[in-house]
Amino acid sequence: MTVSEKKYYHALQIVSDNCTGCTACVRVCPTEAIRVRNGKAHIDANRCVDCGNCVTICPFHAILPKSDPLEIIQNYKYKVAVLSSSFAGQFTEDIPYATAKQALLELGFDEVAEEAMVTDFMIGLIRDYIRQHKEIRPILSSNCPAAVRLIQVKYPSLLPNLMHQEAPMSILTRYIREKIQAEQNLPDTDIGIFLIVPCVAHVTAVHQPEGAYKHLQDGAFSVGMIYGKIRERLRKMNGEQQQMETYEKGLTWALAGVEAEMVDCEDIRALSVNGTDNVLEILSKVEDHYLDQYDYIVLRSCTNGCVGGCLNVENPFVATSRIKKMIKSAEPKEIDTTKLKELYKEGEFAVAPLEPRSIMELDKDIKQAIQKMKKLNEILVMLPGLNCCACGSPSCYALAEDIVCDKASIDDCVVLLKRHQKEED
Amino acid sequence: MAEYWNIEPQFEAAAQAFLANKPDAEVTLQSEIEVKDFVNAGKGSAEVKNILKRLGIDPAVLRRIAVASYEAEINVAAHSNGGRMFSYVYDDLVYIRFEDNGPGISNIAQAMVPGWSTADDLVREMGFGAGLGLPNIQKNADLLHIDSEAGGTTTLEIIVYYA
Repeated sequence: MTVSEKKYYHALQIVSDNCTGCTACVRVCPTEAIRVRNGKAHIDANRCVDCGNCVTICPFHAILPKSDPLEIIQNYKYKVAVLSSSFAGQFTEDIPYATAKQALLELGFDEVAEEAMVTDFMIGLIRDYIRQHKEIRPILSSNCPAAVRLIQVKYPSLLPNLMHQEAPMSILTRYIREKIQAEQNLPDTDIGIFLIVPCVAHVTAVHQPEGAYKHLQDGAFSVGMIYGKIRERLRKMNGEQQQMETYEKGLTWALAGVEAEMVDCEDIRALSVNGTDNVLEILSKVEDHYLDQYDYIVLRSCTNGCVGGCLNVENPFVATSRIKKMIKSAEPKEIDTTKLKELYKEGEFAVAPLEPRSIMELDKDIKQAIQKMKKLNEILVMLPGLNCCACGSPSCYALAEDIVCDKASIDDCVVLLKRHQKEED
Repeated sequence: MAEYWNIEPQFEAAAQAFLANKPDAEVTLQSEIEVKDFVNAGKGSAEVKNILKRLGIDPAVLRRIAVASYEAEINVAAHSNGGRMFSYVYDDLVYIRFEDNGPGISNIAQAMVPGWSTADDLVREMGFGAGLGLPNIQKNADLLHIDSEAGGTTTLEIIVYYA
């Protein structure tokens, strides 16, 4: 399937009734995927990378994040929830993490696993991968699905630099599937594994994984939705303390900067970057070979890392502080990683080479593209250069691009229209 | 006047013919490069990169162009008294010329040796001056031509073919 034919799933939905056409979302979209036409925002599915910036910025709740309803777990005999690490930072400190985890289990799961369980294993895996791919520098982290899609869309020349291994929650999913099939003697189709995720990019990654060879998850629930249900459950539990096993030491995964710190060692230099604009700037420098001195670069699209995901309920700075406190006071726990190491050796976590999603080209034919580029430049000098967004495109350049691609007309420029009106008067 | 040429053998004839005729480009870009202005140096090559992405050229070729033009632009900012970058986009190649205001390269052959650099402390503090600039440009461009005079100006030209 070629890029243009492939239908992209997105975990975002525009509620037209709420949309005022204010263009706030148009301005924050890193891939210029949104246009306001006829007073309403529209998302170009080929360009959208599910970063969630538009969800956060919209003042009218007109862009809704999509995730699965909890009821779908009933379609499976054995139900497992896999917790993203940012989940731990959502609860006020009077609610112990173990209690919140117990409440989650009581929502109808047979087992709750944590991303945090495989953090140490992941660090080892990443180091091994970096050492085995000395010919590629820098290696780019692949665990943030929005960052991966940003590379596919805007920096396809860097696709070979991506670490072609699954993200921690998917590695954990593969491991749990094998384990439960053996322990419970159940066929794969009876086991439902679900992620509790902090961002829309993770919802999309569950429904349309990039490069996955194997069956991974069966659904994704937003941290926000689960949080509400857990609060209800906690009331019924009457403040009873729970003794559930938890893995606080590994919660580092949710925080920006910590992954790089952990991977960094004598023979590996790691750099960490978070926030969409910062990620784009670093990727441009990587493209220019300016950052070849780094062995590994951790990319997180959300500010502060996964705690900054738009499906979380708590402020990312507060969540960071809580998680840091939990890590500090936790006892280290030994986790048997023999099976995980075996699976890694067997290539079970490998990812297929990722395909570019080239959205930037003006035309498939280079001669046509050049003609459009010339026309674009002619239009650009006519436009006011205010980048006011009133036309519904993110900048004057983008409007010129839209015009040459027959997606807009020069009459959409409000400033030019006003000038013409004045001249007529 | 000293000159340095390096042309990939398969493009020898085509590149010479191109330089002899220099047909009108489809899209032309021009930008100023100020002395030691590392904040803005790199913007010219970023602009070229953006245009080429819109023409849909192969990502691997695009990266070679990005590297060669970025290195050359940083070279002008780091080593010269300022200069200009002219980019000419065609449907089969990109031709980029850098002209500076001196002081010229006294020994081009030596400047082509990886690791050799005349960069001063300020340039090194900025993370440049590893002495890999010119060799890197040569590695990534199909044609590299340097024309320089010690005490005079330097012109550096590169051509990269899309296929």
